[in-house]
Amino acid sequence: MILGHTMRLYFKLIGIRVRAQMQYRLSFWVDLAGTGLATGVEFLTLAAVFGRFGSIGGWSLGEVAFLYGLVETAFATMDMIFSGFDPDFFSQQVRRGTFDQMLLRPVSLPLQIFASEFLLRRIGRMAQGLAVWGFSLTLTHIAWTPAKLLYLPVVTVSTVAFFGGLFVAGAALCFYTVQSIEAVNIFTYGGTYMLSYPMHIYDEWFRRFFIYIVPSALLVYYPALFFLDKPDPLGLPSFAPFLAPLAGFGTLLAAFALWWVGVRRYTSTGT
Amino acid sequence: MTPIISVTDLRKEFKVFRHHRGALGAFRNLVTREYKVVKAVDGIAFAIEPGELVGYLGPNGAGKSTTIKMLTGILVPTSGEICVSGRVPWRERRAHVARIGAVFGQRNTLWWDLPVVESLDLLRHIYRVPAERYTRNLATFRQLLALDEFLHTPVRSLSLGQLMRANLAAALLHDPDVLFLDEPTIGLDIVAKERIRQFIQRINRERGMTVILTTHDLSDVEKLCERVMMIDRGHLLFDGKLADLLRRFGGERELVVDFADEVLDAAVEGAQIVERDGPRVTYRFARDAISASELISRLSARYRLVDLSVREPEIEATVRRIYEERLLDNDGG
Amino acid sequence: MLATYAALARLAFQRYLAYRTANLAGLATNAFFGALRAYILIALFGAQTHVAGYSVQGAVTYTGLTQMLLAYLPLYGWWELMLTIQTGEIAADLSRPVDFFLYWLAQDVGRAACQFVMRGLPILALYALFYSLALPPTPWHAAAFVVSLVLALLVSFAWRFLVSLSAFWTPDARGVGRTAWTVAIVLSGFMMPVAFFPPWAEALMRLTPFPSLINTEVEIYLGIVGGPALLGALAGQLFWFLALAALSRLVLAAGVKKLVIQGG
Repeated sequence: MILGHTMRLYFKLIGIRVRAQMQYRLSFWVDLAGTGLATGVEFLTLAAVFGRFGSIGGWSLGEVAFLYGLVETAFATMDMIFSGFDPDFFSQQVRRGTFDQMLLRPVSLPLQIFASEFLLRRIGRMAQGLAVWGFSLTLTHIAWTPAKLLYLPVVTVSTVAFFGGLFVAGAALCFYTVQSIEAVNIFTYGGTYMLSYPMHIYDEWFRRFFIYIVPSALLVYYPALFFLDKPDPLGLPSFAPFLAPLAGFGTLLAAFALWWVGVRRYTSTGT
Repeated sequence: MTPIISVTDLRKEFKVFRHHRGALGAFRNLVTREYKVVKAVDGIAFAIEPGELVGYLGPNGAGKSTTIKMLTGILVPTSGEICVSGRVPWRERRAHVARIGAVFGQRNTLWWDLPVVESLDLLRHIYRVPAERYTRNLATFRQLLALDEFLHTPVRSLSLGQLMRANLAAALLHDPDVLFLDEPTIGLDIVAKERIRQFIQRINRERGMTVILTTHDLSDVEKLCERVMMIDRGHLLFDGKLADLLRRFGGERELVVDFADEVLDAAVEGAQIVERDGPRVTYRFARDAISASELISRLSARYRLVDLSVREPEIEATVRRIYEERLLDNDGG
Repeated sequence: MLATYAALARLAFQRYLAYRTANLAGLATNAFFGALRAYILIALFGAQTHVAGYSVQGAVTYTGLTQMLLAYLPLYGWWELMLTIQTGEIAADLSRPVDFFLYWLAQDVGRAACQFVMRGLPILALYALFYSLALPPTPWHAAAFVVSLVLALLVSFAWRFLVSLSAFWTPDARGVGRTAWTVAIVLSGFMMPVAFFPPWAEALMRLTPFPSLINTEVEIYLGIVGGPALLGALAGQLFWFLALAALSRLVLAAGVKKLVIQGG
């Protein structure tokens, strides 16, 4: 009953955001194509120069494309669903007092923030990610098993949750500082760039940080080892590829815990 | 009657961090946490009965908006108690905000891209107002606030006055127990102000809605509020009838007299002459020194009077004087 | 006259100096991306020592130089002029008794100088701390590198100026801008050295003005070009600046004419 009401409300509110974006139809399509292109050229450039090198850390272009496709698809999906938590956007909401108004509504706060923005144009980037992913499948000839087929959507959703956790944690930071929000970009945009390449090309301390502190390697790299039937050069236990849901949703939950701490601080200081 | 709002020993302290400038300063900001404590609200107490319409006054930075934020559940107090309709606002925030309405100044709460009517319909879902009650309330507000002229206009194209009317309707659709209004007439022209005031008065009288109003425009207070509370530097300095406030601090009244003929010796005991203009003489007299009727009878004993009027001190000037001269400071609250 | 432009440049320098926190956050992001790009190039080289004229050390130095130039040339975008056209503020700028192109160029020189000091040099210092960087092979190369940095700014400015003028004709100039900046990022050799692309792609890229933004400086610094070719590279940059500047003036005249006739 309550859940039904909440979901109906969410879709109603999202519908408004989407309709507002479609009012300027041309701008919408130009924007959509623009974002698709801007992110797509990154992979095209890699593909263009790859012939000179043959492989990167022992991985073929198709195998790197698998990482890249998964990262881009998941990040773009997250960016659309979590638009309201985007630190750049959310810090404005806090500064303009829109967040105060949310506190005055008898509806769950996360729901209101999820519903406060929904950038449909991220579909451009999503399409680009899916195209690269599809390209990788034609090159790599993955030996599909039922387990792999079942696990692929799980990994994708877990990666969406993980990236969502980064946005929510960044939004939590907005309750403490308005000036350093740009630094969150290191984790979001830097993170996607880093995850698009096999983890073993990085230094050990760097890898450790992104396995044990921010568990991003468990979401993209290790599942990719499983799908591509590659051995683990880093020597983690054999169940490492299957920790993706734990790492993804664990990060998201931890980020929300942090966010609530931020809300509590905000309501006691009212910055 | 039990009060609908009761506040005891309410305090709110903020830590204001000292910021060092420059590159070295940025580093010091990270390492040291020097701050001073600002007491925005410093031990206030009051009770409001259901159906009251209270004006909450104070100069900028006096603690007005901090109090309102605590009453609406946006801000948690440092100490003290607040109880609104039997609830502690910040402890049961969602249940609390479902039973209050709030309109904050020029801040719009409606959806920018939607026509007014669709915005209101969304609020019906958010507050879960039963369809029948929604229809009834909407019909009432359409009439009282003349919403029909812009009901299907997108919110972004509304004038300031229309925006305020739409937001008032939005804040009341769910029949709240208490309505908080922060500067409801700011930036509006006289006609629009008057319309808003009449509306506030009606919902207060006809629906028995408790209203708390903060404003800079003292004619709002003069026309609407019987009771006023005045806060400065975190202390509640006055809580009582507006008339009492004026009586105590209103300063001197003026009596304007038109004599039948120009008089040579217009002086009278207990009042001083501030202006002479032919047969018209203006006296100023202190409230506690002499009553208006006594003054008039003294004058009419000596001369023939054609016309007279008593001018009360203006609320605007009085309140400004209270702020500026801090007349209430040594009053003990 | 020159004093006016110098004052404009100085003011722009100070204006950008004020964004201290943004500079710091930007610097951190630049450094992180720089480290990733170095990892990726080292891994791509693998066991190979030289690829298309680049050594591994040269490739790492290449990432350092490009990260250093990122804010100086603003490769990620520049919207100031476009905004003044869109808001109509341009009318006031046009009525000033200064040359409109030079008026903006002077300010851009101030901006670039500030970002070179605040964002560029610290990146290079960080690189020098973590990697053993290559140095220019001869003092001539070093001198030519400095000249080519200045020329690259001029080419970059003329290109950005030209793209911004699109706002005279379309309300979606932001989309045009975003596409233009993306094109420049790829074709300039910012993402990968131009020499790494397949020969046909490389040949096509070298026909455009974009390698003058990044690739030319890198090739001069690393000594990939030398002798007469070195002067040729500088001449190429100068040519593209003059060509783009001339085109800009023509387009500006057409835009102003449209503004005057249609009242914006």
